[in-house]
Amino acid sequence: MTVEVREHQKTPLWRNATFLKWVAQIGVLIALLALFALLGREALKNFNQSGISFGWKWLSDPTGVDIREGIDTSPDSGVRALAVGMVNTLRVGISGIVAATVLGTLIGIGRLSKNWIVNKLSTIYIESIRNVPLLLQIFFWQAMALVLPQLTTDDVGTYWFKASNKGFGLAWFRTDGGFWPWMLFVVAGIVVGRYVSRYRHRIQEETGRITYPGLSWFATVIVFAAVGWFAWPILRILAPVWHGIASFFRALPPIVYPIVGAIASIGFAVLWIRNFFESRRTPAGFGKLTDDDWFRVIFAGFSGIALAIVSFVIGGFVLTTVGGDKATVAELIGRGIANVFDWFGRSFEVTSGSPIVGSRPEVIVKGAGFVNFSEGGVVMSVPFFAIWTGVTLYTASFIAEIVRGGILAVPKGQTEAAMALGLRRSQYLRLVILPQAFRIILPPMGNQYLNLMKNTSLGIAVAFPEIVQVGTTILNQTGQSLPVVLVWMGFFVTLSLGISAIVNYYNRKMMIVER
Amino acid sequence: MTMHETTPERVLGDDIVIAEGVKKWFGDFQALKGVTTRVKEREVVVIIGPSGSGKSTFIRCLNRLEAHQEGTIIIDGTELTNDLKNIEKIRSEVGMVFQQFNLFPHLTVMDNITLAPIWVRKTPKAEAEATAMELLERVGIPEQADKYPGQLSGGQQQRVAIARSLAMKPRIMLFDEPTSALDPEMIKEVLDVMKELAASGMTMLVVTHEMGFAREVADRVLFFDYGTIVEEGTPEHFFTNPQHDRTKLFLSQIL
Repeated sequence: MTVEVREHQKTPLWRNATFLKWVAQIGVLIALLALFALLGREALKNFNQSGISFGWKWLSDPTGVDIREGIDTSPDSGVRALAVGMVNTLRVGISGIVAATVLGTLIGIGRLSKNWIVNKLSTIYIESIRNVPLLLQIFFWQAMALVLPQLTTDDVGTYWFKASNKGFGLAWFRTDGGFWPWMLFVVAGIVVGRYVSRYRHRIQEETGRITYPGLSWFATVIVFAAVGWFAWPILRILAPVWHGIASFFRALPPIVYPIVGAIASIGFAVLWIRNFFESRRTPAGFGKLTDDDWFRVIFAGFSGIALAIVSFVIGGFVLTTVGGDKATVAELIGRGIANVFDWFGRSFEVTSGSPIVGSRPEVIVKGAGFVNFSEGGVVMSVPFFAIWTGVTLYTASFIAEIVRGGILAVPKGQTEAAMALGLRRSQYLRLVILPQAFRIILPPMGNQYLNLMKNTSLGIAVAFPEIVQVGTTILNQTGQSLPVVLVWMGFFVTLSLGISAIVNYYNRKMMIVER
Repeated sequence: MTMHETTPERVLGDDIVIAEGVKKWFGDFQALKGVTTRVKEREVVVIIGPSGSGKSTFIRCLNRLEAHQEGTIIIDGTELTNDLKNIEKIRSEVGMVFQQFNLFPHLTVMDNITLAPIWVRKTPKAEAEATAMELLERVGIPEQADKYPGQLSGGQQQRVAIARSLAMKPRIMLFDEPTSALDPEMIKEVLDVMKELAASGMTMLVVTHEMGFAREVADRVLFFDYGTIVEEGTPEHFFTNPQHDRTKLFLSQIL
């Protein structure tokens, strides 16, 4: 039987699905670009009318901003002040993420415990913490710290630990003269240890003898660190090498950096497209690409070219440095790299001191009747304590629920099979249940990390100088609202995308292989 | 043709499983109402009965996946009590195969099999892997060692589960409906492995609906209903001359 096509006419364009799809894609792209252009023009117009010139000069202008704590308490420029704020945000955020993960996991497991007291305590923790607004909790911890005893002249002295309403002082370590040369030994130990562990792993595979590859790696690092502790002054001979590298970068024409940027972005796009074609390849040859596939390829290609152009534009951007002279971004990058190597060279010229020394908090009299901690040890200020404790405990309560859900989602048969094989509770939790729960837990966990990072911006409520607080001060002084907001947004977007990328990487790595 | 004709008769040894008046409640519901039986070394006991009759609960009590509340269970001379040391000892001597296989999906077939020997028996990895390969050859799938459970068929997964239990060198094997979740064409490959295991002299307690297997391999059949053993005897007795009305009714429904 033959099939007869009764009407064989050309499909008109307005009924052609492929054509319409392309039109829609291109249309959306153009509309989006137009919207941005329009908004940008409006913003500039309004700025001009209000007499504030939109610009970035405030980045290099000296500021009168005093920052209560951070890597630099009296920054000499706007960009420096923002950098201090960013570092403070990261300090709260990263240490908070680590602490919240550990605490949340323990409480999540505790809530599944058959021990009645542990179980109820965990439940009470979760229910009380996650049902109270975070801002109130931060105020609560601030209030708790502020009722601690005041520092008086009686308190002058050195401590291992000291709690007061000026913060908490704790004995800690600090780097000393030989730190960087010693670190080179440690890094060498890690690299050499990798080869040692690989070698011993191969021996184990070949002979079946237990050779402890991981342990030997660790031992190698310890040996290198121990030798380096005494031998670091001999690395002085490397100081001229670092300075030589610095001079090399100083002599390099600045145009090199945008060229490298352009090659990298185009190279990345080409690589992506090649991998994409590779992933569409079937044993029978190349599969047919769909329209969506072509959109992706074209988009990747355009992005690569666009980024290459952008790297030249940014590279040629002229900035005023803090010193007052003008330089392009490319020149500044070159100077920055050279300065890092020069600084490295100077660190290697040091011959006195140990790599790391212990350091204890010290209470001293600072001016008439004014008593406070001096440089020693680590001092956790009251604002830092309030915001850190607040976001950590708050996020931990959500993480606990995620961990509990993840563990419950692993089928009961897994526990039974592991028990029937004779594995103990601690063993099967670690070897069987948690690895499977981890895959379920990871994506929502990433969300909590993002939330914690963003919630650090509540530090402004207790005057903790994180990026939003510092930015607000600059904004009030200069009136440059839009640029400051752009910096904030850029910072948090970069941070969030970074966290997402890490989480996604692990997520892909941990995926269960299915048919 | 039966296995008994092709392999030498297995010589039964001493009592290795002793259950005396075992009772078990789930809340108000009494699942076991005093189960008493003894299993000899190298004996193959098939347990049949309608669903909810307590047959699965009984064998799950034998390695303390469920805790019995009254009565005595003695496995290879060790009494099953709250004593963690006894429970650990018994679990490492009693292997179990489940209806849903319960392989660890995040580990390869090889790692599934070597996990318990390495962590419980402290066997060196190389030795555990060599044993695992032998077992995989015994169950007929040595080429699947590096795959993940999700990449195998149901029958293959169940055979890996059997190999995983055997890796602990158990003295007794419990099977909880090992073929109920399998497609018909895969049931035979699993039953063949179990027959080979029985012929090799393993003590086995098998909960199953496979009457062919019971008739061919079992030394003794227990019929469970309402939490007690209603009738027990040789397969010949069971399938030709059942005594109890409930046994007759059950057999008439499934045969």
